[in-house]
Amino acid sequence: MTLDVAAVVVTFNRADKLGRVLDDVLAQERPVDRVVVVDNASTDHTPEVLARYADHPKVEIMVLPENTGGAGGFATGMARAYEQGADAIWIMDDDCYPHPGAVGALLDGHAAAEDRMGMRLPFACSVVQWSNGDICEMNNAEPTWDWAKLLVHGQQNVLVNSCSFVSVLFPRWAITQFGLPLREYFIWFDDQEYTRRLIAAGPGVQVLDSTVTHDLGVNRGVNFGDVNDGNMWKFEYGVRNEASYRWHREDPFAAARFAQRLWRGLAGGNVPWRLRKRLAKKFVEGIRFDPKPTFPRTVL
Amino acid sequence: MSALDLPTPQHGGPLFTVTTEPRLFSPLDERETRLLAGALTYQTLVHPGVDVRVTVTRANGPTPPSLTDQATQRVEWPDHREVVGTLGVRSTGQDPTTTTTKDVVVDLGGPVDQLSGLVRLPGRLNDVRNAIRARAPVAFDALRQRQTDRLENRRLSRPLPRIGAFERPEHTGASGQPPAVLFGMHWLELGGAERWAAETVRMARDAGLQPIVVTDRESAHPDIVSDVFDGALVIPLTHPMTSDDESTLLRTLFDRYDIRGVHVHHCTWLYQRLPWIRAQFPGTQLVDSLHVLEWRTGGFVDIALRLSNVIDEHHVISPQLRDYLVDRQNLSKTKVTLATLADLTVPAAEEPPAADHVDGPLTVAFVGRFTQQKRPYLFLRLARTLHRRLGNRVRFVMHGDGELGDEIRRDHARLGLQSVVEMRTPATPVSQTLEEADVLVICSDNEGVTLTSFEADAHGVLVVSADVGSQASVVVDDLLVPRHPGPLLARTADLVAGLVEDPARLASLRSAQHAKVAAFAALPRARDWTRDLYERWNS
Repeated sequence: MTLDVAAVVVTFNRADKLGRVLDDVLAQERPVDRVVVVDNASTDHTPEVLARYADHPKVEIMVLPENTGGAGGFATGMARAYEQGADAIWIMDDDCYPHPGAVGALLDGHAAAEDRMGMRLPFACSVVQWSNGDICEMNNAEPTWDWAKLLVHGQQNVLVNSCSFVSVLFPRWAITQFGLPLREYFIWFDDQEYTRRLIAAGPGVQVLDSTVTHDLGVNRGVNFGDVNDGNMWKFEYGVRNEASYRWHREDPFAAARFAQRLWRGLAGGNVPWRLRKRLAKKFVEGIRFDPKPTFPRTVL
Repeated sequence: MSALDLPTPQHGGPLFTVTTEPRLFSPLDERETRLLAGALTYQTLVHPGVDVRVTVTRANGPTPPSLTDQATQRVEWPDHREVVGTLGVRSTGQDPTTTTTKDVVVDLGGPVDQLSGLVRLPGRLNDVRNAIRARAPVAFDALRQRQTDRLENRRLSRPLPRIGAFERPEHTGASGQPPAVLFGMHWLELGGAERWAAETVRMARDAGLQPIVVTDRESAHPDIVSDVFDGALVIPLTHPMTSDDESTLLRTLFDRYDIRGVHVHHCTWLYQRLPWIRAQFPGTQLVDSLHVLEWRTGGFVDIALRLSNVIDEHHVISPQLRDYLVDRQNLSKTKVTLATLADLTVPAAEEPPAADHVDGPLTVAFVGRFTQQKRPYLFLRLARTLHRRLGNRVRFVMHGDGELGDEIRRDHARLGLQSVVEMRTPATPVSQTLEEADVLVICSDNEGVTLTSFEADAHGVLVVSADVGSQASVVVDDLLVPRHPGPLLARTADLVAGLVEDPARLASLRSAQHAKVAAFAALPRARDWTRDLYERWNS
């Protein structure tokens, strides 16, 4: 049975990279059936880039009236693809260049892993590389304790608990059962919360044969020691969201361990006290912040 | 005394012969004759080779027919019944197996119009419940919807038990008897799901198969006279039957016909017997058609899921049901077929007439049965609110009748809406109401996909609907309103008021609606799926 696969790309002010992303998505050997591009109210020349794809029969462009963050953009785009009847939804950022064969490998790897495991698996993600071919530190999937279960049987698949929204494929049933990413997170930890929500049904799988390049300026993971005035806004979302997740979806002890990790990171990086205080407030805000998943409508 | 013209099946000849000529003291109408034929078929099938002496009665009052239940074995009956005739019958195809005669009393029930009222459960608690519902339907409904929320959450969080799968034995081959399809229906009142079920009966007949129809719900079966059932073997079951009779009925049906497939629509009785049929008649294909997810009771979808291991294919009419069965309940995608009824009542591809509302009041209509599910009382409240807000700039038509009919008419008067809401009975064609309407409001608290939505679109009528079932497949996003009564009324009132203020928006919304309906209509059609299925069964 042929699957209807939709790609969802969320963009915000990355006009210089977006065209290549879309070209690489549309050039996949196993073609996607449609591409939903969500423009989060970009203020650069993104509209001009998107105009080139306006008449493409597979591309649908959704321009949002305001920036809803990556979380809002992915929720909107995934809901749209779901409503159009997609069987699988492949999502990525606007600076993710899928390598040839990336989506085909994801589909094949996911199917092979399900077959071997004898159960449905709620997502399949690619290996994310940086521009120089190294592993992209921000986008490492977290393996399960039995991560090599499929490797020992010759599959190039690793079982994982979570991954980032940089080339990850969700089967329709997972979205039907678990809903959409939390829009309210806006940015950061939305991918962790979502994939961890989905593993209630079973582990995810990282398909080693599926690779993409994440075109970041620097190859560095999230480190609380790096907090400064310029990037503070992102860390504020990150701390609020993770505190909320640990407290409400895990338990207060998990939240306490996160607080300890946060404290050690900030101290280790000698982050100014005024920024630490702001992040502490965000932590407290996270305890009160508990958004609930929404579900897409079935239309077709 | 008058002659009795009993219908016979299209294939294989009659299943019984008349051994004692009928003596009729009162003429039977077409409906009663067909009910009697169903009863005689049943009684002779469960008593093969036996002389069956039949006393036929008719009830005065709201009593459903008694055709196959254990009461037919007793030669006494309540006072409110009159005897309308007697006759003797015996099954064909067998030598007489006994010299004794079996006596049965078949009651054809009361008049149709006395059997459409609300079924009131006995007990003081139910009296109180009914009184509250009649006096304060919106508050009652609000509580009911909250209960639905709880039941919905519970249903989604609990796995359903499944009957065990078993290896299907080899196909036993053709029996030389006429090929047939056994249908299970709720009753012979042809609205919604039954309309589609009746259509499949017609298609089976057209495909050269003998349709055998059993129903399992009490009813006067007013549509048994429909030409859809001409040539079909129709047995309206009445419960409780004896378990011996039940198995004998099925066994003799399978003896007399080469039943290639069983197609269950809404028939709990037949669903429950599918495992036995699968075990005893493994060559028979078992399929069902599912229409609506009942969050409150589970309904037929839950029964189908429980029995899924012995069902070969589930036909669903809405994407919502497909997602529920495949995504939520983990049925194989190859076992669930989505095929819609978009063209059941209207040609699906038809372009709607151009928007022609220019002057005059905006006409807002309700079309549907007056039942708890359709919530007609909400439409009356909507009309009151909008009339207060907009006066004569909006007019209302309420088209239908049903078990809440009396309560709705009382409500209509009590709310002082006699000059505001025009009431129309089903005697008026629905098409006439839709011709006049600009907006159709669907207040239902549960649906699959309403056939009325397609009819409305074909007439260029904009549909505002509660966001239930698969209504999102055919209704514009902006015109979907919450299921809970308070938010439904507030949101619908705002939407209609907005259209009165900005009639130009009607055209753009109609266009968006038609695009959505057309996309839905492009999905596979139920007629095509069924035609292919029956052709396979008859090959």
